[in-house]
Amino acid sequence: MSSVLVSVDDVAKHFPIRRGVVFPKDVARVRAVDGVSLEVKRGETLGIVGETGCGKSTLARCVTGLHPVTKGRIVVDGTDITRLRGTRLKEFRRDVQMIFQDPYGSLNPRRRVGSIIGDPFVIHKIADGAALRRRVQELMELVGLNPEHYNRFPAEFSGGQRQRIGVARALALRPKLIVCDEPVSALDVSIQAQVINLLEDLQQEFGLTYLFIAHDLSVVRHVSDRVAVMYLGKIVEIAERAALYERPRHPYTKALLSAASVADPDLARKRERILLTGEVPSPVQPPPGCRFHPRCPSARDRCAREEPPLPERGDRVACHFPVDTGSSRTRASAPGSAT
Amino acid sequence: MTLTELQAKPAAPARTAVHARSPWQLAWARLRRDKAAVGSAVILVLIVLIAVGAPLLTHWFGADPTKTDAAGGLSGDGLPLGPSAAHLLGTDELGRDVFSRAVYGARVSLLVGLSSTVLATVIGVAAGTLAGYFDGWFDGVISRVLEIVLSFPYLILALVAAATIGPSMTMEIVVISFFSFAAIARVVRGQVISIRAREYIEAARSLGAGHLRIMRVDILPNLLAPVIVLATLLLPTAIVTESTLTFLGAGIDIRTPSWGGMLSESTQYYQVAWWYLFVPGGLLLLTTLACNLLGDGVRDALDPRR
Repeated sequence: MSSVLVSVDDVAKHFPIRRGVVFPKDVARVRAVDGVSLEVKRGETLGIVGETGCGKSTLARCVTGLHPVTKGRIVVDGTDITRLRGTRLKEFRRDVQMIFQDPYGSLNPRRRVGSIIGDPFVIHKIADGAALRRRVQELMELVGLNPEHYNRFPAEFSGGQRQRIGVARALALRPKLIVCDEPVSALDVSIQAQVINLLEDLQQEFGLTYLFIAHDLSVVRHVSDRVAVMYLGKIVEIAERAALYERPRHPYTKALLSAASVADPDLARKRERILLTGEVPSPVQPPPGCRFHPRCPSARDRCAREEPPLPERGDRVACHFPVDTGSSRTRASAPGSAT
Repeated sequence: MTLTELQAKPAAPARTAVHARSPWQLAWARLRRDKAAVGSAVILVLIVLIAVGAPLLTHWFGADPTKTDAAGGLSGDGLPLGPSAAHLLGTDELGRDVFSRAVYGARVSLLVGLSSTVLATVIGVAAGTLAGYFDGWFDGVISRVLEIVLSFPYLILALVAAATIGPSMTMEIVVISFFSFAAIARVVRGQVISIRAREYIEAARSLGAGHLRIMRVDILPNLLAPVIVLATLLLPTAIVTESTLTFLGAGIDIRTPSWGGMLSESTQYYQVAWWYLFVPGGLLLLTTLACNLLGDGVRDALDPRR
């Protein structure tokens, strides 16, 4: 069994912009994800961070097969999922599940919680009747919900409890990979910790692999083994968690980290803050060369002409002039430590 | 009973089943508090009972609705007679019993109104759901068809159809359904487009649910409230349209007792026979008013913001 569970290879997802009612035609394309390659190893949590609109949620939906990809391959457990149809696609759904951002929008308000959590068993014809009810109640107990609340409607639960319902539904088929799309960003901070602890406990118990998407840097730092930073549809840097947070090499990563608040006021005062100028450019017309160059503090002529590739090995940073951290990170963190 | 026995058995059962009131139960409770809606529902139930029990009612209180009362149906001048013991609501220009004809006319109005409402709702929901769910060329085709139907002058087409095919109840139902389904389909399509974008639809897809299951489990139940409101408000329109078509001679056979047909013929006699105009007109007004008030009540009851 390969140590890599998910392999994303040069994946792009473009959304056409249509104009015209009677004779619609594509006038432009939003390059939400534009050539992303990454690997998720079995049992690890890969965090993906980036600003709103950088394509991280689109990438998540490509990996779960919700969006057909425009280009590239996504191999999950040895199967290229981008060409699956019909029953094969349905089989694949059992292996990859998703936890959604909005605990209100992701549960049908007209259905009782028991039938929502029971959906996976019914759809895949695994259980029905009393057995279905028993399994649903087991799941509810597992995620810390009162199994007696089986007959309640989603509106009768708090945000955190609703997210637990979403977790129970995602867990039902014992998937290999769970894609968490901002699972806690809609919750109160006190509830965030509970849900994150639940996710970590479940990972240990069932050997789950997480693709964890968030814009909250501290949440990603807490849960992830490795972290990828996205900007305008591309990965600009990917590294072990400690290395990325302590010695960021891409100017964007550095700016992003410097913008996050720090609990220690002494440390906060000493910190150098990098304020990025300008807006994130439109993904309809991304800038030529390095996509970050119009806002990059250390951009030079070459950055506007030539797009920096993301190296396959070594320091995986897509930048012509990465931030000098004194020593190479690949030596600082032992190679293969995440496997 | 000793103290220990009391302690051993708690007075009330501590475990009550946790069973919430569903949105439908809540809506029902709200509807029952709406006096206008309850009154309208009572009136509608009465009218349905009248229609169903038409043979009995005419047997007890009236006469054969299609037969002329040769003995006491018309005045010496050949004019309709007013309400009397023999004819509770008078007679028409052919000496037929207006009460009996009005009672049987309720059957036509309700039958045509209900069938065309049901037919239009079923077709409208199906077309709107499919158009909203499968976007792209399919939605384009259905939406264009709906726009054409909505911009068509329905009375002219109904008259043409009656002139070429000949008037009948079936044709009436088809014409009314055809021109009302588009309005429902448009609303449903918009609703489906907004529901389709919800995350719980994505969740269902990521679980492996097929299109039919998503439409049945996640979309249709969320459509039920707006569709019920649309249908209850479509019913009075359909009843009025039925009478209009019959009035214009494009509906059912004029010999069959119907409110529209009675209205049509009574216009020539309203100066001498007010009852002949008022009975079908009043029933039509009462029925459509009750439908509209009930429809408004249902709309308010199903809207949780109120």
